[in-house]
Amino acid sequence: MIAQPVIAIEGVTVRFGTTDALRDVTLHVKAGEFCALVGPSGSGKSTLMRLVNRLVVPSAGQVRVRGQDVATLPAPALRRSIGYAMQSVGLFPHRTVAENIGTVPRLLGWDAPRIARRVEELLALLRLDPAMGVRLPRALSGGQAQRVGIARALAADPDILLMDEPFGAVDPITRRELRAETRRIHAETGKTILLVTHDPEEALELASHVVVLRDGRIEADGAPADLVAPDAAPFVRELLGGGQPGLRWLSLLPARGALDPRPAPVGAAMLARNASLADALSVLAESGDEALGMEGEKGSVRAEGILGARR
Amino acid sequence: MKRFRRGVPALLLALGLAVLAMPEVAAWLMGGTQGPYPAARLLDLALDHAALSLAGVLPAGLLGLVLGVVVTRPGGRGLRPAADAAAAVAQAVPPIVVVALAVPAFGFGWAPTILALMLYGIMPVLRATVGALEAVPPETRLAAEAVGLSPRQVLQEVELALAWPLVLDGLRVALVLAVATTAVGALAGAATLGTPIVIGLQNQNQVLVLQGAAATAALAFLADALLLMAVPARD
Ligand SMILES: Nc1ncnc2c1ncn2[C@@H]1O[C@H](COP(=O)(O)OP(=O)(O)OP(=O)(O)O)[C@@H](O)[C@H]1O
Ligand SMILES: [Mg+2]
Repeated sequence: MIAQPVIAIEGVTVRFGTTDALRDVTLHVKAGEFCALVGPSGSGKSTLMRLVNRLVVPSAGQVRVRGQDVATLPAPALRRSIGYAMQSVGLFPHRTVAENIGTVPRLLGWDAPRIARRVEELLALLRLDPAMGVRLPRALSGGQAQRVGIARALAADPDILLMDEPFGAVDPITRRELRAETRRIHAETGKTILLVTHDPEEALELASHVVVLRDGRIEADGAPADLVAPDAAPFVRELLGGGQPGLRWLSLLPARGALDPRPAPVGAAMLARNASLADALSVLAESGDEALGMEGEKGSVRAEGILGARR
Repeated sequence: MKRFRRGVPALLLALGLAVLAMPEVAAWLMGGTQGPYPAARLLDLALDHAALSLAGVLPAGLLGLVLGVVVTRPGGRGLRPAADAAAAVAQAVPPIVVVALAVPAFGFGWAPTILALMLYGIMPVLRATVGALEAVPPETRLAAEAVGLSPRQVLQEVELALAWPLVLDGLRVALVLAVATTAVGALAGAATLGTPIVIGLQNQNQVLVLQGAAATAALAFLADALLLMAVPARD
């Protein structure tokens, strides 16, 4: 049996008045995939994401979640089963941090001690001070509020998580931590994650599947390395390439793929097994050697092998 | 504690006016030539007056609240101009006219006054409710929908919860207006603090006019103070 996509968007057009926010978009996300949506401002990323929990209704086409047409499901139940960290955060200003986080569990009828335990767990997971639970949202910094928003999305342990620019307002260090945390959550729980980000590095680094939107259409849809490969569309390479698409491409390809049967010279620098071609290039540049070894491998990684990735 | 302090000025004013309404004080102020209204009967009238005010303002408040909610729902938005216009017209008609016109239809007693109070009280509550519901940030409403609150839960748990202090402010305005307006009911034969005023005017007894007016104002400020204390302070 072919695995059903957990999210299937089929030929969807979304019209707001006279503008089309999405035009004939088709996208399949498989269970457990980490899918990043990137594209210029106004290209339809948030709209595409909101189709999944039916905050946006298609003008044409169909949206299926877990195999069911969302138009046939009761919206509140559908939404409680999907975590959503909003672009504008949207915490309830009259509810404390703990109450905000516990919203969906409460709607699902969990008992109070279980909700309290879960809130405590999530505060720790998102590196928020446990004492923060009693605060009102207006007493939080932008980055703290954003983390509370993520905690609220995670609260009932949904199998699908929608995150719309969730790390926008945090400092670079916390951002990196949260990114790593998100990666860990994905690896450990196998949730299907849809992430909107303006940071191409974030998209390429976290996602197993990257979707590029432009003017309401899907411009590209595939594995990260394929989207910055030399034969990818120029718009996509420019958007994701960060000025050096070639290097970014190499950073997404494993060095192991370029292993040469010739042994590495004695004393050559050693690469980790999960090093990328960009890592290998960097070490070569620094060491001045012509070949590198790799831990646990007999062969070597050579400059001509790295640069031959195109071939 | 903060909420109690908010009501103190109005409470003091009510107290001062109540002293002014006392028979001895009013008679002394007016030169003491005419007989004042006895304190015990004035108190009876004040209780009737308060009851009549509530009988008018409660349905008005409820109606204003319900109308305010209806015209801010997606399905009821079309009713908004009509509701606004009706509420404005209702407020523009002087209560004394409503009472006078209602007597032939409803007879003497409470009914004409209740009608006037309802017409008069809807607008402040409707305005406050609509304004407060529209002031709920759109992203808060969107978040409420997004986490899976039903439309009724969005209204109760988020929109009204956030709008409540402003709605109560509107209710307070309506109540104070109602207490002041109830005096007119005396013209339709209802026993209110307007009764001494009417008698005083008929008999050219200024003491009674002063007593009725001061007692009415005292009751209005008392109502204001009580509601101010009942509403949680906003910061
Ligand atoms: N509720 C709405 N009503 C009318 N137009 C809308 C609505 N939501 C989105 N749009 C329009 O649809 C288009 C796509 O919007 P969307 O929010 O999906 O963009 P985005 O890619 O998320 O942008 P950003 O990166 O700035 O968040 C924009 O032109 C926007 O103005
Ligand atoms: Mg967006």
